[in-house]
Amino acid sequence: MKENGEIRIGFYICHCGVNIASVIDVERIAAYAATLPGVVVSRHYKYMCSDPGQELLGSDIREHKLNRIVVAACSPLLHEHTFRKATENAGLNPYFMHMVNIREHGSWVHEDKELATGKAQDMIRAAIRRVRFHEPLEKKRVPVLQDVLVIGGGIAGIHASLTLANAGKHVILVEREPTIGGHMAQFDKTFPTLDCAACILTPKMTSVKDHPNITLWSYSEVVKIDGSVGNYTVTVKRKPRYVNEELCVGCMECIEACIYKEGKWPDEFNVGLSKRKPIYIPFPQAVPPVPVIDPEHCVHVKTGKCRDTCVAICGDRNAIDFTQKETLTDIKVGAIVVATGFDIFDATQIPYYGYGKYRNVYTALEAERLINASGPTGGELLLPDGHKPESIAIVHCVGSRDVHYNRWCSRVCCMYSLKLAHLIKERTGAEIYNFYIDMRAPGKSMEEFYNRVSEEGVHLIRGRVADITPQALPEGSDQGGYLGKLVVQAEDTLIGRVRKIPVDMVILAVGLVPQKDAEEVRRMLNISCSTGGFFLERHPKLAPVNTFTDGIFLAGACQGPKDIPDSVAQAGAAAAEALALIDAGSVEIEPNTAYIIEEDCSGCKSCIPLCPYTAISFDEAKKKAVINEALCKGCGTCVAACPSGSIRQHLFEDEEIFSEIDGLLTYA
Amino acid sequence: MLATEEAVEQMWGVTLDKLYDSEEGRRILSCIQCGTCVGTCPHGEYMDYPPRRIITMLKAGLIDEVLASDSMVMCVNCYACQTKCPRNIRLTEILLPIVKEQSLLQLETMPAELQKAIENTFRYGNYMGESARKRTQWTKTSKIPVRILSEDPRPVDALWLVESDLSYHPRGQDVARATVQIFDAIGADFAILGNEERSAGDCGRLSWEPGLSETLIDYTLSILKKYTYNRIIVSDPHALDALNFRYPMFGFSDTVEATVSFVHRHLDMLRPRLTKTLKYRVTYHDSCCLGRHNKLYDEPRELLLAIPGIELREMVHTRENSICCGGGGGGMWLDTYYKAKGMERLSDRRLREALATGADVLAIACPYELSRFEDAVKVAGAENRIVVRDIMELLVESFGDN
Ligand SMILES: Cc1cc2nc3c(=O)[nH]c(=O)nc-3n(C[C@H](O)[C@H](O)[C@H](O)COP(=O)(O)OP(=O)(O)OC[C@H]3O[C@@H](n4cnc5c(N)ncnc54)[C@H](O)[C@@H]3O)c2cc1C
Ligand code: SF4
Ligand code: SF4
Repeated sequence: MKENGEIRIGFYICHCGVNIASVIDVERIAAYAATLPGVVVSRHYKYMCSDPGQELLGSDIREHKLNRIVVAACSPLLHEHTFRKATENAGLNPYFMHMVNIREHGSWVHEDKELATGKAQDMIRAAIRRVRFHEPLEKKRVPVLQDVLVIGGGIAGIHASLTLANAGKHVILVEREPTIGGHMAQFDKTFPTLDCAACILTPKMTSVKDHPNITLWSYSEVVKIDGSVGNYTVTVKRKPRYVNEELCVGCMECIEACIYKEGKWPDEFNVGLSKRKPIYIPFPQAVPPVPVIDPEHCVHVKTGKCRDTCVAICGDRNAIDFTQKETLTDIKVGAIVVATGFDIFDATQIPYYGYGKYRNVYTALEAERLINASGPTGGELLLPDGHKPESIAIVHCVGSRDVHYNRWCSRVCCMYSLKLAHLIKERTGAEIYNFYIDMRAPGKSMEEFYNRVSEEGVHLIRGRVADITPQALPEGSDQGGYLGKLVVQAEDTLIGRVRKIPVDMVILAVGLVPQKDAEEVRRMLNISCSTGGFFLERHPKLAPVNTFTDGIFLAGACQGPKDIPDSVAQAGAAAAEALALIDAGSVEIEPNTAYIIEEDCSGCKSCIPLCPYTAISFDEAKKKAVINEALCKGCGTCVAACPSGSIRQHLFEDEEIFSEIDGLLTYA
Repeated sequence: MLATEEAVEQMWGVTLDKLYDSEEGRRILSCIQCGTCVGTCPHGEYMDYPPRRIITMLKAGLIDEVLASDSMVMCVNCYACQTKCPRNIRLTEILLPIVKEQSLLQLETMPAELQKAIENTFRYGNYMGESARKRTQWTKTSKIPVRILSEDPRPVDALWLVESDLSYHPRGQDVARATVQIFDAIGADFAILGNEERSAGDCGRLSWEPGLSETLIDYTLSILKKYTYNRIIVSDPHALDALNFRYPMFGFSDTVEATVSFVHRHLDMLRPRLTKTLKYRVTYHDSCCLGRHNKLYDEPRELLLAIPGIELREMVHTRENSICCGGGGGGMWLDTYYKAKGMERLSDRRLREALATGADVLAIACPYELSRFEDAVKVAGAENRIVVRDIMELLVESFGDN
């Protein structure tokens, strides 16, 4: 490659108010740049990014017939776009403009003015040498696929799917469990307004099922993702349900007819508090309203020998289908919304709370099921021996705000603990003791809710529970399975006394933690996690639903603990961001892509496995590597790795890089 | 969480006014006033200024009021508060000892038993006030001869620090002799310091008498220097604590192992000897220093389970949630003082938990517990229901060829 024609360079150094000029001697640099070969105009200016600054650049291009521009200012992340635009407006190809970052890499990180000015001078010399070799480049646009994938069908995933579908987009909603609904489906009522969870959730679930624009794949998981923004290829694993969703009419007669007359295995939806059969439906309003057969326990699936009473009762509806196999299906989408939610903290980790040891210690999620009309006790709060509890302790902050477990505040536990206190008191008249560290009630209507529950006479004790022990363990008895009164011990910090309160039941307000497989999902999606393991947003304030991977958005508790109102709000935002992306119809791709000099390529294929974006394939006919420009992100890995030097990269051509290095190392 | 040497080092000898100069000390400022420390403290309900309030008073500049109270005299150095603190504040390691030392100085009258114990330790190197010359008397009745380094200074693999209780207390001596039989059974090359040994200066005592403890540490280090050995084995968990967390600050860096973990490491060699079935229901009491502070929970239990016939039963409070026997932090010599305040002896409370399991043996691995629990058994009139045995004694009892 060679320089073409006469090179006429315009050089501009920005004061950035005092951000640059207070450390770097901009006048001296402008004078110095003027002495360098090819520089026709050299200026310093207070704010290059301002309208007059850009105008200055444009008029110089026209007046002095400039054909290369170097701007020494802030980070290209902020204003490269601005100056490329200004260059283009003046009739020059925008890629003839090159930026030097003397603020973040200069004035902001150095104190010695002399040295900082010297360093800026070197960087500028390098840029002026490099820019001679710049070539005109064209930005490319690639079309964006119009379908959207939503992973996870909790309230966040449901809301995002409906929003997108209502905007006319086709949504594929992939849910791991046999039904959508997520955690919210398990609750009785929801704080702070106490609406019945099922009443507000199930209509939305039904809309998902009925929406012409939504394809719901429940009992399915995403196993692979390829491609990049606008063009993702996603592989979805669909587990066999052994019940054909198209043919099933949802009568549930098969469940009745199963050879097992009673449930025998822990019911996942009731968090193990009841038993289910090998053919079951998680709960009456499940979506899809189709039973599922558990292959681990179904006699037919296991042995092939069963009376098949389910098949018989289904009759010519023929919905039971034991021939179903696990399938892998590829779909193509333009954007992805991740809404995989949270898991609850495993309370057995805290030995002194007795969970898993004393039978009357429950997690809050278990308590939700126990007071739920569709729960194992029909909504009546009963102890395992059938007794009604008369006193109940609710322990806040279980596994949260604790350096031994999770450092974070789980945000929803204080409020759901008050909710449980209210609901249980209302229904059983029991004495309720909430042990809290700090009562966290931010957000709309939350403090009012706190006030209401306080006035109802719930005992609010400020102190973290230190110990839970049986009140009277009959001598020689096995503690496991203990069901008598438990003594909850804590310091009541407001009166400065240790209190030991005997109760019939303890409810542990377990915190919110990332899903067990969050790390694998993160890796598959090529997104990041924050220290606690929740998915990381691009910017906590300004890009809360974006990730560092374009085209992948976050919604709900997978990004951090949050309540239903916030999950829904975030889901709406994620849907809007996805819409903004796909409605644009195409995405611009930077022209700094790698390309292959075909005649030099030896066909060794070393580059193919190295590309992190799977942008390189192999042309079997020509025996040459081929780079897909739409997928290439310009990382340069293949360029450096090619043994025959036959891969090059726009904007990072050898001549550009070497002359830049020369410039840096040539002391004036 | 285990203290790192670095953490303790940062705080060794720190005074209240220098408390926040280190990272470990500044962590005190992160206290969220949750009261877990108070709620879990076995004496928390008796203290006017339990750990949580000490921190608020300190922050409010009212620490003098705390120092004038006897609250910290009730602290038995059990590490319960520190272990559960959600901010991992080094209460038992750092803050409480400073307060304790100061409040002891301000006590109108020093509790007599405690005074005596300190004086005895100073004079004789053991809290009982026994003569140094009698330290090795127990070896005379040992089935296996015990090598004493001052008489036979050849290099040895394991230098065993017997400590005072095992040397002088009659029941402690039983344990010492049993330990020798175990060491012999696993083929250990071991020796003791003999009459040269003095109390290592356990961490409890260190907390309220830093001057005395420094004297003892200097002395012990000077004796150890004379001999060549690969490791130090300690039977007293308080001494283990001192060697692990205090001695390093005096340049000590030897390998230290608790007797239970040393024996546990050689369990395979011991097993063939454990042939006699002991049809006991055993409950094991976790010593605070061994368990909470040195995280040795499984080793003692696995040793017990290696004995044929033994059924292990857990008490309500177990492992990291165990309750102190009341002997730590000087509690050993404060029973009268506590009684005058109407406080229940922790060993009595703990014994009830042991009895509730229906066990007929209360197994222990700390010499303090031996005397404390045997006394509690007498007080409870439970001699026919339960006996107190050191793990080493039980192991020897199971020797078929004994
Ligand atoms: C006991 C308790 C009570 C609560 N009470 C209230 C209340 O009263 N009011 C309130 O506002 N908030 C409450 N909350 C908070 C509420 O649960 C959350 O705000 C809400 O559930 C978050 O919704 P989500 O969709 O983000 O996550 P989830 O509800 O967790 O849904 C995630 C969904 O994604 C699916 N999924 C996960 N991983 C994958 C995968 N890899 N592939 C496919 N699918 C996947 C899951 O199966 C699930 O269906 C409570 C929380 C708890 C623990
Ligand atoms: S347990 Fe820790 S955080 Fe809680 S009050 Fe005590 S010192 Fe403070
Ligand atoms: S160390 Fe033990 S006795 Fe001392 S304050 Fe902490 S919990 Fe109480």
